[in-house]
Amino acid sequence: MSRYGRERNAKRKTWALLFVIVSLFCIVFFAARGRFQAPVMGRAATLMLAPFQGAISWVGSQVNYVVTSVWDIATVHQQNKMLRSEVEQLRVQNVEAKEFASENQRLRALLGYKQQATQFDLVAARVIARESATWSSMITINRGTSDGIAADMAVVTERGLVGRVSEAGPTSSKVQLILDPRSSVGTLVQRAESRVTGIVEGDPANPTMPDMVNIPKTSDVVEGDVIVTSGFGGVYPKGIVVGIVSAIRNDPGGLLKIAALEPAVDFQKLEDVMVITASREAPPEPLKPPVQTPGTETDPEKEAAEMQAAAQAADEATASAAADVTNAGGASQ
Amino acid sequence: MTMRKFVLTICGILALYALQTSILPLIAYHGVTADLMLLFVASTAFLRGARIGAFVGFCVGLMEDLASGTFLGMNALSRLLLGYAVGSGSASVFKDQMVLPVFSSIFVTAANYFILAVLMVLLGYRFSLLGHVQYTLLPMLVYQFLFAYPVHRMVCRGDKWLRAKR
Repeated sequence: MSRYGRERNAKRKTWALLFVIVSLFCIVFFAARGRFQAPVMGRAATLMLAPFQGAISWVGSQVNYVVTSVWDIATVHQQNKMLRSEVEQLRVQNVEAKEFASENQRLRALLGYKQQATQFDLVAARVIARESATWSSMITINRGTSDGIAADMAVVTERGLVGRVSEAGPTSSKVQLILDPRSSVGTLVQRAESRVTGIVEGDPANPTMPDMVNIPKTSDVVEGDVIVTSGFGGVYPKGIVVGIVSAIRNDPGGLLKIAALEPAVDFQKLEDVMVITASREAPPEPLKPPVQTPGTETDPEKEAAEMQAAAQAADEATASAAADVTNAGGASQ
Repeated sequence: MTMRKFVLTICGILALYALQTSILPLIAYHGVTADLMLLFVASTAFLRGARIGAFVGFCVGLMEDLASGTFLGMNALSRLLLGYAVGSGSASVFKDQMVLPVFSSIFVTAANYFILAVLMVLLGYRFSLLGHVQYTLLPMLVYQFLFAYPVHRMVCRGDKWLRAKR
């Protein structure tokens, strides 16, 4: 091809390129304005690409699945460590929460008893140690003489009698449980028809169930009777529940009976107790107005006020009459 | 070029596009991923010159426009221009080198981005160029740089295969 022909060919290509560019530019603008569309060609392109895209997409999903699985496997050790750590933390939190809930329940019960037992001055204490000796039953509480605790004070829970303070230190005290064989508590049967007295002692043969001894053979103590403190001896205030009679047997001497008691307090779960630092007679129940017949109700307070006013008026009248008599006597003299 | 080679080339281009639209979204960053078709056009133009580059750019861009449903003609125009520009620039460089096409992919991608941005502005769309560059162009440049070498190697092999007599 000659030089002239090449230049002409190049010019033609340049014009063709410019034409294509301008055409495309116009197509872009017309298409953007919605004045030009190529739905058939679009569908054809989509139709042509669909098998490729489907196949590669399937491969991609498989690859993604494999990669995800490999990644999961690679990170499972770390995840496992993290989850174990989290589980440990949650277990600790769970134990703490249960502990708090249990403590809350116990303290609520103690508070309820404290509000109910108004005749006692109580000091709450926590069991901080428990003697593991076979033949005795002692606990240590976290209150001592600095808290007003002294020896021979009764120790109770909201359920009943625990024992007595055998030794009081400055900040802690030892408590002898009623299960201890050395312990002796003056008791009686709570049932009104019975009121039989006896002494509750720890049974060395059965450290979980104390015995009520010195029960006359002719007494009417039966299984299920509630045993309370009698107040004799001055250590234990009267009326504290000790336990329930679970079995009765004859004393080897033949003249007395022995009642095995199911203690009111669960000594295996003893954590919080109260020490009775002072006791008095329970205050009398407030007087309640009698039930009135419908239609004839009266207001006792109003009547009392009227009676008081009438009495006051009578006193004033008597005083004025006396003054008149005195004045009259003076005038006659 | 025989009919078999032509069909296989078309199938290869379609597979590349399917790869771009099916697999690469799995590794997309904020919806941005590599533009394999642009890399293909740039490499083809680098190896075959302006005329073939512009033609391939036009065809590939038009196929993208038709398949993706974007503004019709937009990719065709930008790829045609870039194919022509890269092909014209490659006339005076050594074709067998690998470094230049890989690094030129960054400039090609940036140029493509700005051509499309200008078209969008001309069409009446307004956007924050700085924010768009930060969240769209920069991640795309990273992807393009990573994929430029494999795509160029593939195009080189295809080119040799097409030039072979059998």
